[in-house]
Amino acid sequence: MSVEKLAYYPGCPSEATALEQHMSTEAVFEKLGVELVEVEEWNCCGAAEAEDPNLVYALNARNLAIAERVNLDIMTPCSICYYNLARANNALKADEELRAEIKGIDPSLEYNGTITPKHILDVLVNDIGLEEIKSKLVKKVEVKVAPYYGCYIGRPPETAFDDPDDPVLMDQLIELIGGENVPFSTMKTKCCGGPLMMTRADLAFEMARKILDTAKNAGADCIALACPLCGMMLDAKQPDIEKALNVKFEMPIVYITQLLGLALGIEPNKLGLQKNVVGAKKILEKVV
Amino acid sequence: MPIKTWELDPNFKNEILNEPGGEHLTACYQCSTCTLGCPITELVPSYNPRKIIQMSLLGMRTEVLSNPDLWICAICQTCTARCPQNVVVGDVLAVMRRLAEKAEEAGEIKIESPRPLFETAFLHTVEKYGRLYDIGLAMEYYPKREGSFVAGQKAMMSDYMGFGMRMFLKGKMGPLGGHGLFKGLLASKIKQRDVMKKIFKWVEEKEKER
Ligand code: SF4
Ligand code: SF4
Repeated sequence: MSVEKLAYYPGCPSEATALEQHMSTEAVFEKLGVELVEVEEWNCCGAAEAEDPNLVYALNARNLAIAERVNLDIMTPCSICYYNLARANNALKADEELRAEIKGIDPSLEYNGTITPKHILDVLVNDIGLEEIKSKLVKKVEVKVAPYYGCYIGRPPETAFDDPDDPVLMDQLIELIGGENVPFSTMKTKCCGGPLMMTRADLAFEMARKILDTAKNAGADCIALACPLCGMMLDAKQPDIEKALNVKFEMPIVYITQLLGLALGIEPNKLGLQKNVVGAKKILEKVV
Repeated sequence: MPIKTWELDPNFKNEILNEPGGEHLTACYQCSTCTLGCPITELVPSYNPRKIIQMSLLGMRTEVLSNPDLWICAICQTCTARCPQNVVVGDVLAVMRRLAEKAEEAGEIKIESPRPLFETAFLHTVEKYGRLYDIGLAMEYYPKREGSFVAGQKAMMSDYMGFGMRMFLKGKMGPLGGHGLFKGLLASKIKQRDVMKKIFKWVEEKEKER
């Protein structure tokens, strides 16, 4: 295995709304024998709300610099955090003047571009590898899964690490653990509406509805994802969507690390499975 | 309505080209690929990023900056991924939103969407604490959006009653999760908050320079 230790950037939702993603990420990496060193005193990446690229670059120069000082590549389980870390890294690596200027704000922002930001899906499949993960599996998770990728995994091109139209990394993990991917290609990379939730809930709900509807019609037991904003929209807001649009989904939404953790034999509570808003413990019946 | 050529601002495209993210505006050849794949156009057929780009190229500054559609883009970057001319459409729209906010500050236009208020409230918590603080964000955003403290509290309650209760019962916020009594209820603060202040100040000054 090529990777033994990584800097871990949990991101703001890890402390509250996506606690289960944080818990399952830590548990899975412990089981896989990859040490995660939390980026000490990490700050917000700017999320979708920092619209000025300079703000994204400066905020993330600090996060990148902290990881660089311990000489570790930085991994995050959040797609937006990944996008911001990666585009800041690209900009800073390419532009010496920008690096100098940002270092001028405060010496703690000195970043020399020697590490690489990675999304958790990329690390699991491409760095740790399917073979290595397979050798540690103890259970089969025989669930029908709708693999949902959303934005910032296959696009935009400057930071993408999977196919823009038909990404496969999560599909591969699901197959590996004994699950079945239901036909979902029309929705895999559609936006969940998350960024509009607080200002145009009507549009956001409609976008999420399409995803939930398609998964349900495809016969999925759950939707798997790898981004806390998608989790917020599809899981935490699902009862609100059901109420507003007068529909019923009761569709469990799980983080891919929760599914993988079950296959690695990790106790469901350590994976935070009791914290998903739409009852996710149903899928335990299918773990053999 | 026909375009009034004497009201066009030929410099508008340069304003966009000079902003980070707006550099590729003039590469657009109006093929509509961006618009055809846009999830918002799917829901709101009149939403048309191609047209917004063409209007900017023509110099229709006020029409573009006061267009409410700028604020319903979900920044999903599908348009960016598909544009054959690498216009980086998603970032160009972000530039227009920033220019619209500046124009509003200068009293030139009025923005109806509450999105700038939301983004500002979000970033205020980051500037103050180094991390997002959901409750602080809501306490600033709702009263501003509704125009008064009382109306704000009411709107916040109606949006958050169900959601907040779910977060509480699942132990993601509050004492039930065993992760600390005030988990998620109090702001999570980093120590180097002075650096956050410096970063925001630098960004503001950079913006003025342009
Ligand atoms: S896809 Fe690109 S080139 Fe085509 S209209 Fe949109 S911005 Fe212009
Ligand atoms: S970034 Fe905005 S304009 Fe582009 S496809 Fe997404 S919603 Fe549409």
